[in-house]
Amino acid sequence: MIRRGLFGAFFIVLAGPALTQTALPFNVGGPYALVNHHGAPHTQSDPDGLPQLLFFGYANCPGICTAALPLMGDVTTALAESGIALRPVMITVDPVRDTVENMADPLTKLHPDFIGLTGDADALADAYAAFSIDHALAYQDPDYGPVYTHGSMIYLLDAAGTVLTLIPPVMDTHHATQVALKYLAPTDSDG
Amino acid sequence: MRRFIAAFMGLFALPALAAEGERITVTGEIIDTWCYYSGVMGGPDSVVGSAHHTCALWCSAAGIPIGLLAEDGTVYTILKLGAQDNATGGDTALRLASHTVTADGMFYARDGINYIIVEEVLEDFGIVNLTHEDYDVVPSFAIPEPKE
Repeated sequence: MIRRGLFGAFFIVLAGPALTQTALPFNVGGPYALVNHHGAPHTQSDPDGLPQLLFFGYANCPGICTAALPLMGDVTTALAESGIALRPVMITVDPVRDTVENMADPLTKLHPDFIGLTGDADALADAYAAFSIDHALAYQDPDYGPVYTHGSMIYLLDAAGTVLTLIPPVMDTHHATQVALKYLAPTDSDG
Repeated sequence: MRRFIAAFMGLFALPALAAEGERITVTGEIIDTWCYYSGVMGGPDSVVGSAHHTCALWCSAAGIPIGLLAEDGTVYTILKLGAQDNATGGDTALRLASHTVTADGMFYARDGINYIIVEEVLEDFGIVNLTHEDYDVVPSFAIPEPKE
């Protein structure tokens, strides 16, 4: 009840038809050229022309795991039920921990279409810079090793990689899906 | 519950629901938004302040967005905190977790969410919301069992 009430309070204005909203408050997004967990090149443009959910984090989390990746899987499933396919994508902040060989298993458990991306230091730095990810060692966990600062927002991208909006990973699946639908749902003018 | 109502009403008392950002100065507590909204660790009054400090650090390190819980109950999701790009998990966010601060920055509303880019923390009052007096440690496992 508490959960439902607070989420409802937080997002009540989603139902408001006439409220205006601000543009994204800073430039975010841009090109990157990484490698996916199949070992194939992967850029900001989705190869199948799908919109994307993007998060910077870990596939193999170091003890404290983010809520973002499970939410991305759940939103992907929920949107599919509305007839909208999209691609959940994670760019690693720890290429030592997350490799081409070991990212698929944890990610595809969250959703079979999940894609993990990594790359060399320069390629990852380009991706971090495009999304203003201030990548740094947060602390050294005695049990789990290094923990890095990483992104806290899920980005909704179109198929070309342009950022459409932000989705805080504190939303529940329903509200996150509703936000995505605002940008992805077919309009009367489509088709 | 009182704070929940205040948060609800606060949405309608915001300084702007306009097309552009607006400069605001807000006094409030730096909170862990996941535990505050999800309710998984307890009610909203128990997952703020000193009782929840350790968990707030964990969540920040895990990439959970931090928020600024204003005195009127409005929650602003913090996109940036000072010069640091990442609001979450970095030195500034960890140092200010659970602190009450007066922050100056730009307010934005998008998709029904209040965002703030904090350009400057004008005053840091420290951890003044002493919720541990009522709730002890939330969650209780935030104090680990000693290793044998």
